[in-house]
Amino acid sequence: MNYPTDPKYSKEEWDKLPKAFIDGKPFVMEKGETILNFVRRYKEKGLVPTLCDAPNLEAFGSCRVCSVEVALTENGPTKTMASCHTPLNEGMYVYTSTEAVKKLRKNIIELVLTDHPLDCLTCEVNGNCELQTVAAQVGIRDVRYPKGENHQDCDKDLSHPYMTSDFSKCINCYRCVRACDEVQGQFVLSMAGRGFDAHIVKGDNVSFMESDCVSCGACAQACPTSAISDVYQSKAIIAEKTTRTVCTYCGVGCNLEVSTTSNKILSIQAPYEAEANAGHTCLKGRYAFQFYNHPERLNSPMIKRNGEFEKVSWDEVYEFLANKFTTIKSDYGADAIAGISSARCTNEENYLMQKFIRAVIGTNNIDGCARVCHSPTALGMQRTFGTGAATNSIEDIDHTECMMVIGANPTAAHPVTGAKIKQRALKGKTLIVIDPRKTELANLADYHIALRPGTNVAVLNMMLRYIIDEGLVDESFIETRTEGFEDFKANLLKLDLDEMAKIAKVDKELVRKAAIAYAKSSAAMSFHGLGVTEHSQGTFTVMQIADLAMITGNIGRKGVGVNPLRGQNNVQGAADMGVQPHQGAGYLDVTKPDIIKKYEDFYDVKMPGEIGYKIPEMFEAAIAGKLKALWIIGEDVVQTDPNTQKVIKALNSLDLLIVQELFMTETAKHADVILPGASFLEKSGTFTNGERRVQRVQAAVEPIEGTKPDGQIIVDMMNKMGYAQPDYDAATMLEEISQIVPFFAGAKWDTLGDNGKQWPILPDGTDTKILHGETFRRGKGKFYYYDFKESEEITSHGKDYPYIITTNRDLEHYNCGAMTRRTKNVEIHTEDVLWINPKDAQAKGIVNGDLVCVESPRGKVDIKAFVTEGVNEGVLSTTFHFPEIMVNNITSDVHDSEAKCPEYKVVSVNIRKARKTHMRKEGELV
Amino acid sequence: MSKNLSNLSGRKGLQHNLYELLGNSAEANEGTPNPKDLKRLAKDFLMGRANTYGAASFYDFLKPENKGKKVYYCNGSSCMTAGTQNKVMDKLKSNFKEEEIGHICCLGRCHENSSFHYEGKNYSGDSINQIDEIIQQKTKVADAYTIGHSGPQILTGNDLTLDEVKNTLKDIFRKGRETILSDIKASGLRGRGGAGFPIGFKLESAKNTPSDSRFIVCNADEGDPGAYSDRYLMEFQPMKLLLGMLIAGYVVGAEWGVLYIRFEYPESLEIINKAIETLEKENLIGENILGSDFSYFFKTIKARGAYICGEETSLLSSIEGQRAEVRVRPPYPTQEGLFNKPTVVNNVETLACLPFVINHGGEAYKSIGRGKSTGTKLVSLDGFFNNPGIYEVEMGTPFQEVIENLGGGLKEPIKAMHIGGPLGGLVPKEKWGDLTVDFESFAEHGFLLGHASVVCIPMDFPLVKYVQHLFQFTSDESCGKCFPCRLGSKRGAEMFEKAQAGNYSIDEELLTDLLTTLETGSLCALGGGLPLPIKNALQYFRNEFEPYFSKNHIAV
Repeated sequence: MNYPTDPKYSKEEWDKLPKAFIDGKPFVMEKGETILNFVRRYKEKGLVPTLCDAPNLEAFGSCRVCSVEVALTENGPTKTMASCHTPLNEGMYVYTSTEAVKKLRKNIIELVLTDHPLDCLTCEVNGNCELQTVAAQVGIRDVRYPKGENHQDCDKDLSHPYMTSDFSKCINCYRCVRACDEVQGQFVLSMAGRGFDAHIVKGDNVSFMESDCVSCGACAQACPTSAISDVYQSKAIIAEKTTRTVCTYCGVGCNLEVSTTSNKILSIQAPYEAEANAGHTCLKGRYAFQFYNHPERLNSPMIKRNGEFEKVSWDEVYEFLANKFTTIKSDYGADAIAGISSARCTNEENYLMQKFIRAVIGTNNIDGCARVCHSPTALGMQRTFGTGAATNSIEDIDHTECMMVIGANPTAAHPVTGAKIKQRALKGKTLIVIDPRKTELANLADYHIALRPGTNVAVLNMMLRYIIDEGLVDESFIETRTEGFEDFKANLLKLDLDEMAKIAKVDKELVRKAAIAYAKSSAAMSFHGLGVTEHSQGTFTVMQIADLAMITGNIGRKGVGVNPLRGQNNVQGAADMGVQPHQGAGYLDVTKPDIIKKYEDFYDVKMPGEIGYKIPEMFEAAIAGKLKALWIIGEDVVQTDPNTQKVIKALNSLDLLIVQELFMTETAKHADVILPGASFLEKSGTFTNGERRVQRVQAAVEPIEGTKPDGQIIVDMMNKMGYAQPDYDAATMLEEISQIVPFFAGAKWDTLGDNGKQWPILPDGTDTKILHGETFRRGKGKFYYYDFKESEEITSHGKDYPYIITTNRDLEHYNCGAMTRRTKNVEIHTEDVLWINPKDAQAKGIVNGDLVCVESPRGKVDIKAFVTEGVNEGVLSTTFHFPEIMVNNITSDVHDSEAKCPEYKVVSVNIRKARKTHMRKEGELV
Repeated sequence: MSKNLSNLSGRKGLQHNLYELLGNSAEANEGTPNPKDLKRLAKDFLMGRANTYGAASFYDFLKPENKGKKVYYCNGSSCMTAGTQNKVMDKLKSNFKEEEIGHICCLGRCHENSSFHYEGKNYSGDSINQIDEIIQQKTKVADAYTIGHSGPQILTGNDLTLDEVKNTLKDIFRKGRETILSDIKASGLRGRGGAGFPIGFKLESAKNTPSDSRFIVCNADEGDPGAYSDRYLMEFQPMKLLLGMLIAGYVVGAEWGVLYIRFEYPESLEIINKAIETLEKENLIGENILGSDFSYFFKTIKARGAYICGEETSLLSSIEGQRAEVRVRPPYPTQEGLFNKPTVVNNVETLACLPFVINHGGEAYKSIGRGKSTGTKLVSLDGFFNNPGIYEVEMGTPFQEVIENLGGGLKEPIKAMHIGGPLGGLVPKEKWGDLTVDFESFAEHGFLLGHASVVCIPMDFPLVKYVQHLFQFTSDESCGKCFPCRLGSKRGAEMFEKAQAGNYSIDEELLTDLLTTLETGSLCALGGGLPLPIKNALQYFRNEFEPYFSKNHIAV
């Protein structure tokens, strides 16, 4: 064989490697690859055209356009084969362009065109249509068949706010059907009929709107023509430019490709080669971008005077704020000022905000939304492993044998990861779900432990105990990698399993089986969400999940680990950057003299050495008159923090409340000063997703008039306050960060690439996909045992308020809904509803759709009933996306004992049918 | 094909079978599952509403258009060329409303034709003349055909007794899996469904694929018009078949044997179900059979009308309650088959040979037949023969002998025989003498033994019409997945329809391109096999086609 066709191999390597031939020339082959894959690795795409093939779908073999001729010997007899699903064998001779296959391809396309309208010039995908491209490649000129039966009179489906279809354009390649099945796992699309009559249906032959479509858009992106598309005509080629950036909607960190023209966003697609999302995303990422230039965007700084907001210039607002800060600082000291930074902002912006609070103001009163979500994760995992972040990567789902999802509903809150977990479960891999609610994944689970809210610790202790009883512990891992096991085990052996089962209202046998399944699996991976952390024992629960991983040796390799599903897009990054009162940038302890010294040298100012206020403490301090000024960026604490009335009281107690926002949120309404920030589409920087992947966010459009990137606002204020800080620029800010945050040492803007890097990023730029491979960050993994303890909420109020309400999220909306409620997502999902068990509903005379008054010791709200078996008797659940409900009026003040994360998930309430029959209108006083 | 749907279907096991439940709903709702049931089943199986809807719409006897049909006339090739169906239709129309009459493709009554299906029972021959009586008194009229042989009797003769079944089982348990497998491999037994793949390799592959469960599936979807040998075996030799499946199951370590039996063979289903009951009663199936470590259960699946299910991967999707669309290979069923588990799919006739192989040894079996075509073959002869029926002949037997000695010659002169189903070759009279009944002989002469069914085409039957029928049949029965078959069969049918209507001349180059596209481009043997008989027709009966070709017209 002639050497070298591929110069990357040495002569010796070349001779040893298995090879096959493309049009007579030898190339090195990969084990198990298809002929198409082999050819595509070496040759241009058009050499072997395809229609039914798509990058994220399994080989399907329907279009046959990829046919090639294959011989087993040079010039030997050939056979025509579809290259997409035929495995390549060593020594195979692949002929891609013989007259016979060229003719075959042409003849197939001719057949396709007998049932396709010839209206390319007016078609929305003209110029970006795969059929058009392939037809040109095979050189088709006319259709010789007589006019026959066709499908060109199909009606268009324009029923849905986003999805559209025009099946007269359909070529029956099944890519949409397969995308809905293999990517999203939603099974909304199928073929119906047979033979020539085979056609696509949505649901049982209904419209997109009437179907169970979750609007992920995977079908529209997969469709090679315009048969399925969307209202943004995402496949049209009218865009002037596309910008690769990262989604703002959750911790999955989907890469997005934003098409723009004249500084306007046209549409968003998901790049196939993105490591975080591989061509997939959800309706929030793909379609819910209209908020960015919504008429209600705040577009000028404002100062509240005599109860009314007045638009002012940037100069005026900076001057006003600088004076205020200076006065408050001199009157009450730096600790009377605090900041809440935003997980929706970039790493660079978060870094700047904590720098402003620490280095410019001089206090550690800086916190972020991690406080109300994953602060127990960070703390718990730091205690056990030494690092408070996901141990593994999303990609590991493809390698795991068992998934345990606890207190998380990823198909709604982390849709792309949720879809991936779902896909893995559909491959027959074990799925354990621990959740009071029958979530989408719970439906699919092998073991669904529907525990009483607030009893995670009881159930996890049971699992740990069963693993010990069954002799399934990984002794060598425990011996070499951990400490504290003997005490831990001794405590577990004292556990009263019957009592725990009774407390948690679970079936002992089910818990035992789930524990065995987890322990016996060759690679078990856990995922947890706020159903773990937002509890009085949240940190302990996280530590138990870590214990489960350690006791079974599920740490430090592919397909295992402890993987918190981080909520907001950059909540991981905010904490990494020092947005927390006890640790500065890079998780360094702000009370340690050597650390203080390090920061002082770096910032060239005196640094505070006392731990600052956590968010709930800020509210307490404000009410107590100790905190005077609070600067909140992108966080609607009134709508989303617990015990709304107390939050409002705290905000109203301040001398100065600055709210930096996109919209007039419930919190902004209480502000003294409004600073109009910019959305993720209008600025650059980096976000760090839930798998520690630091990815580049790149402005797709300019900030709308009157707004500024949040980072620039902070920089302006720093300079105003006398601290010289260069103008906001993603690359230079990241450079500064890389000098102070140890695990960002090698994070450089220019070398992050399209897919970013997972921290720790070593100085040479190498990143880290899996943590704790050889040793734990803290040396040995540490076992701690904790007894179950009933929440104070239940012990104090459970008697008078016998129901437990737990709050959660829906797919269509994000957090307080400030963004998603200003998109067409509201047309799909219009309101918060109350899940209630049919027996409870019956006992209270409530039917589906009734308004239910839900009352807790803090207050009451009216919510529309949704009667469902999705929750057990005595358990209720709802979302908090709509200000019409303001469900946090009833949530409690109880917090995680360690990290101070509020216990949103266990709220004692009572219910009755509401006297009112209509919902509160937006704007009506809370 | 969806692996996810296979998994979801498999989670419920064979006892809670989606396809069966769809069928039950259709039976309870005038021929098509009601929309509520489709929704409920989708929810129950965690699938989409589109999946149950899409699956139901695939099958002739589940699809919404089937609602309200009371009687079905056969529109298969054999009844068509026999010319009996106009009369059948007329008779039916006088008793039923037009919308109550449906069609059904081949009831396996090709020996006497005039076939129709009424209230779950098949009728043929003279029955149509007793239609009033049948409707009023539900009279069952039995059919009759000759069963003969011209050499060793492996598949004809008496069925096995329960003692024989028991003894064979004891024997295989004593010999062990490996010995049985090597015996089967030694026999050279090849699949009788058409492709002729050695069963030993399939068993070995499934046995060696790591898995927690495995399946044996009997393909009893004998859809080729003209073929009724599998029907014969199920109805007259059920124990040979079931024991064959037990043997195959034992070899690979399967716990379930599934029989996918066509809707069109109600008697076969009934007889097989009874035979299974008998085996159950005698404790010859179930947990730990005869005290061995081998447990085995049977499940019969009543198919719902789709020719493509004769293709093994479609058949597997069908059992799963999916649309019966052809899957790509690899993975082969022996690697990832039913519910994504290793599965051996074999035809009725193949499996029914296994008891003989075990009882007489692989070498004994191999000594019968010719060359690589070992053993015997059942041949189905249609009503044009003087002695229509099922004949067992040793592989290698001259075909002329079958026609003359067994079939007793023809009742009237014919121009060709369509052998081996709609995708088999169209054999003109002058070639009959060249052929012997074995895979190789047929292939060498440019034909296909297939399932060895014979449909005769009388002198007065225009081959242009027959070719249109073949295109139309393929177009109706195509699963719709691959482009060449879905579109090409339709366009071919349209070309011939238009040409016969007189307003269109066929461009011969286009027809050649179409046939090449189907033959080399199709995913499975349906689209890929269709060109064979058409090319035979064009080769041997060119004069019949010339008036319809455009060049001819230009010349005129």
